[in-house]
Amino acid sequence: MTVENTRAIDFETITLMDALDLATLVEQEAKERYSEFAHQMTTHHNPDAARFFLRMIQIESTHEVRLADRRRKLFGDTPKVVRREMIFDIEAPEYDEARSDMSVRRALEAALTSEKKAFDFFDTAVKRVKDEGVRQLFTELRTEEEEHQGYVVAELAKLPPDPANDGSAYEDDPVALD
Amino acid sequence: MNAVNTSPPVLPMAQAKDYKSELKPIWCPGCGDFGVLQAIYRSLAAIGRPPHEIAFVSGIGCSSRIPGYTTTYGFNSVHGRALPIAQGIKLANPDLLVLVAGGDGDGFSIGGGHVPHAIRRNTDLTYLVMDNQIYGLTKGQLSPTSPRGLKTVTSEYGSLEEPVNPLLYVLAYGAGFVAQATPADMPGMTEVVEAAIRYPGFSFVNIQSPCVTFGSEEVQVKAQRAQMKSLKSLNHDPTNRLAAMDLAQHYGHELHTGIFYQNPSPPPTLDSLVRERKAALSGKGVPRQKIFDLLLQKQ
Repeated sequence: MTVENTRAIDFETITLMDALDLATLVEQEAKERYSEFAHQMTTHHNPDAARFFLRMIQIESTHEVRLADRRRKLFGDTPKVVRREMIFDIEAPEYDEARSDMSVRRALEAALTSEKKAFDFFDTAVKRVKDEGVRQLFTELRTEEEEHQGYVVAELAKLPPDPANDGSAYEDDPVALD
Repeated sequence: MNAVNTSPPVLPMAQAKDYKSELKPIWCPGCGDFGVLQAIYRSLAAIGRPPHEIAFVSGIGCSSRIPGYTTTYGFNSVHGRALPIAQGIKLANPDLLVLVAGGDGDGFSIGGGHVPHAIRRNTDLTYLVMDNQIYGLTKGQLSPTSPRGLKTVTSEYGSLEEPVNPLLYVLAYGAGFVAQATPADMPGMTEVVEAAIRYPGFSFVNIQSPCVTFGSEEVQVKAQRAQMKSLKSLNHDPTNRLAAMDLAQHYGHELHTGIFYQNPSPPPTLDSLVRERKAALSGKGVPRQKIFDLLLQKQ
């Protein structure tokens, strides 16, 4: 049985090796999306949001490497069968979250939404799996995603609220009609 | 049973990243076209044809940048003229997989006259229209699919015109494959684009890809997610053309996603008919080098 935003993965019969590969790909997808966002923000002259997304790349990369190491220790170089094409935006922020003028607060909110999505994914998946090792892994990852949400919420609390945006900054200057 | 189903042709070994060029998209952050591009990469990976066997043609507009973001052959052509160029490519080299991308203005305004002819010829190509109901690249003018009443820089008091209905338009001209998708449903969009490419003949996908800069909040991806209705969930039979036309009339009022119509008995494509004709005339035709001589003799 598949889980939303995945394709061709049967969670009832998934093995620990495939589950580790899946979890690694989830982090890789998030890292790459943050990299795209950092590029978008740099292109659109928003260095503060770009800096935040660059930080997120490092964080997701650390998670990816840790999971990949764990997989290697347990299963060596056994060929992977889970592929990137099988997952869709599980922890990666959706493209629609980005805005050229987004504040750091809004960037953090996008990251928070992504951590919640990842939590929901593992929460749904853990209820489907039958393998005890996979269940433990998904439970552990679900807990981690919950912890990450806590970090983001704490970071958000440190930020002042965004100023009201009435769009006036984008209006053209008045043109004389005489 | 394997936990992970990797049996071809659903997911052969090509990878989405094989189709991603080094050029990074410069669309506005939040643009729907980012999701469309991801769906195209994944669909091409599922099809498995190598990039050098694919030609991607576009016109002019934000979405027409897409060929440059892929590793396939690409032709970012003239405004509204992507379809004739794509048909020419397919006729010249029928072995190529030919894709066409463009916006609603490119496809249904300046290029609108080309659509019926590509359909009636049934050239084997896939036409992906990123319908955002506005001219985004030129900063927000009315487009052929803008809804009546829309206020833009060229319709300060609201548009007085009815929009073109792209779905009904292509269905009426007899397109064999007609679908609609949105970046609000990435797996669904990928599935539909893949099915369109696999269809032997002219296939059309209208993608509701919102303009984040000139589109209102009500048309953005989050709003689409709340509104969209999958045709599968409505138990729509995609082989029923009249039912498809009935559903297509809701364009602009309801967001239906999935396959509206897929001809269960696809007619021969133009390129296959050309091959047949060539084979039939083989040996009977005038050699190419003699054609000019014959013309001179007749004068």
